[in-house]
Amino acid sequence: MAEPIEYVDAGRAVDQVTLTQTVGMAPPVTRNVTYQRILRARSEPHNWLTYYGAYDGQRYSPLEQINTQNVRQLRPAWVFQCGSVGLTAGATTYAFECAPVVVDGIMFITGWDGWAWAVDAQTGNELWRYRHAIPFDVSLCCGNVNRGVAVANNKVFMVTQNAHVVALDATNGKPIWDKAYGDVRAGESATVAPLIVKDLVLVGSSGGEFGVRGHIDAFNMETGEHVWRCYTVPKPGEPGSDTWPRDGEAWARGGANCWVTATYDPELNLTYWGTGNPAPDFDGEVRQGDNLYTDSMVAVDPDNGQIRFHYQYNPHDVWDYDSISEHILFEMDGRKAMAHFDKNGYCFILDRTNGQLIRVFPFVDRIDWGDIDANGKVTAKVFPDKEGVPVHFWPGPAGGKEWTHAAYSPKTQLLYCPVQDVGATATRRRREFKEGIPYWGAGVETDAGDMSGCLSAFNPANGEEAWRWRSDIPMCASVLATGGDLVFAGEPTGEFHAFNARTGEPLWEFQCGSGHHSSPTTYSIGGRQYIAVPTGWGGWTEGFAPGMLGVPHGAALFAFALPD
Amino acid sequence: MTTGAAQALPELMKQNGATIGRLLANGNLGHAEERSGGRMHAEIRIPQDQLVFDPAVLVLPHGGEVELEIFNDDDNTHCALLPSNGDSQFIWLVNHSRGTATLRLDGPGYYWYSSPTGNDEGRGLTGAIVVMGDVPQEARLDRPKQPRP
Repeated sequence: MAEPIEYVDAGRAVDQVTLTQTVGMAPPVTRNVTYQRILRARSEPHNWLTYYGAYDGQRYSPLEQINTQNVRQLRPAWVFQCGSVGLTAGATTYAFECAPVVVDGIMFITGWDGWAWAVDAQTGNELWRYRHAIPFDVSLCCGNVNRGVAVANNKVFMVTQNAHVVALDATNGKPIWDKAYGDVRAGESATVAPLIVKDLVLVGSSGGEFGVRGHIDAFNMETGEHVWRCYTVPKPGEPGSDTWPRDGEAWARGGANCWVTATYDPELNLTYWGTGNPAPDFDGEVRQGDNLYTDSMVAVDPDNGQIRFHYQYNPHDVWDYDSISEHILFEMDGRKAMAHFDKNGYCFILDRTNGQLIRVFPFVDRIDWGDIDANGKVTAKVFPDKEGVPVHFWPGPAGGKEWTHAAYSPKTQLLYCPVQDVGATATRRRREFKEGIPYWGAGVETDAGDMSGCLSAFNPANGEEAWRWRSDIPMCASVLATGGDLVFAGEPTGEFHAFNARTGEPLWEFQCGSGHHSSPTTYSIGGRQYIAVPTGWGGWTEGFAPGMLGVPHGAALFAFALPD
Repeated sequence: MTTGAAQALPELMKQNGATIGRLLANGNLGHAEERSGGRMHAEIRIPQDQLVFDPAVLVLPHGGEVELEIFNDDDNTHCALLPSNGDSQFIWLVNHSRGTATLRLDGPGYYWYSSPTGNDEGRGLTGAIVVMGDVPQEARLDRPKQPRP
């Protein structure tokens, strides 16, 4: 008989971070980040206080130290690396998609698979980390991704891929509260960067490819108490329900998820959300009608979650043309306007006081799914309406522009849009709905060879293209505009570019080693301006650029600055 | 016609059998026990020369906090990197050692953990923690009950 083992005491397992040089603490820089301060975010250009930099979603910074005259001297100041460890959900589709938020020298970022970090924005040193354990089997339509944080009142807010919203102590990354707000068994997930409005944290849900019912939720910032939920597909009897079949439960699987952060007009007290595609994406016959509020702008009252008005960009969408993209708020001819580049290839300028159309114009060369006239009338022409018959259309389901954001410079009064010119073939294949199973209603293949892209500047006052920089491949990363008359944009092949904001002349580039699918931001410390850009190719690559599926993954955030 | 992998090729379930290592997560299945206050407890062992966690699949009845007792009965040194909300938990396990780990996990879903030294992970020392149950009622969709596969 074997002798009983006398065990050595291995002790207790420790946080993995204790096996690093990370200090575990950050200065309390967000302690005084209040709603009032966020309202005036652009008045402190050394910081990037919100996902878009300010409530208006312009992705513009007045910083001008780096400008058209000296940008050629731009060089890496530091790199933050964060490679993947172990078996994770979406191990081959993860991407580094966040927009770095910076407060008084401290950067707050998220990665894939539940990661959040505080980083010294001057040195790139990790200060603390949080990692939410993400189930390996969580439903993710488009990769293991997360778009960033919100900060306020000494807290960092993030969502997790398994649809929780978490408040962290901004000084050490320890959780303060944690609430589930989606049903992973139904196919829901979360990827959005939260939005702070007053004392609320606002988040949208993901899962439109799984036949869920989209919703926006508000939580009390301090306590995590759930304050309201706004469904973006009405129940029978509610306003808009007559745009769904009277019989059956198509509405209950209708999609319209808001997986991109809203913008906010504090004077009007309205948040502007873009809603996602209806489900099933391509089989419209099972959901006759306009299918509100899919593919729409919904203006939501942040105090109670009520939809005040809407504008539907793609009534009865059968191309997977989510309208989740940002609504950029700006003033035009004394009018409160907003701009939205839709997946359908058209840019819409709306009056944000009432949702009325001011102007609509195409922003991508190849559009043949249908057209939209000057009054906004939509005429569908090419779509997968017959079972088993392949139909090719432009733009493909990733759109003329995906979620990655455009920018607006109040200095040049131009909009800057990353454009994808890629088509796709969809073959309608009806399927029975089963909860938690993808619900597309088609076989879909995006063109892998015939693709191109550009960075284009548009004048929203007349819809004319001011300039364009052509690329052989789609542009799939957000644009940053600065007071130095520069716009920055990255390519899937890894190059990060600076352009003259007035002419489009390329002025500088740096090869980051992996493709760009994130949102660069800018900030300054001690008078030195930095440009920060996460790189790490991935996400729904097969949707927006299948010809780039073999591009190296990566997981690095670069910060660039002029020489000391 | 296909058959279960373990039945068709039992040599997959051992070291240096059909393959060099052992096919992941095809060992024993065990359940955590629930203790007072809803806290869960389970034992995991690393048997001699098998390069496997036993049970290979640990089932938790719901999300929450679980305390694991981990025994390395092997004549080699291993470790464990385990998922937990906040940060992954790491423990070093020399030959014939015993330690504990407290994990906080959401449910439902399943998580992998492993011994990240050399290629323990590929040889078989990758285990699964399965969390049963549903998300809280308040997080679910307001809609009629839907058909599932």
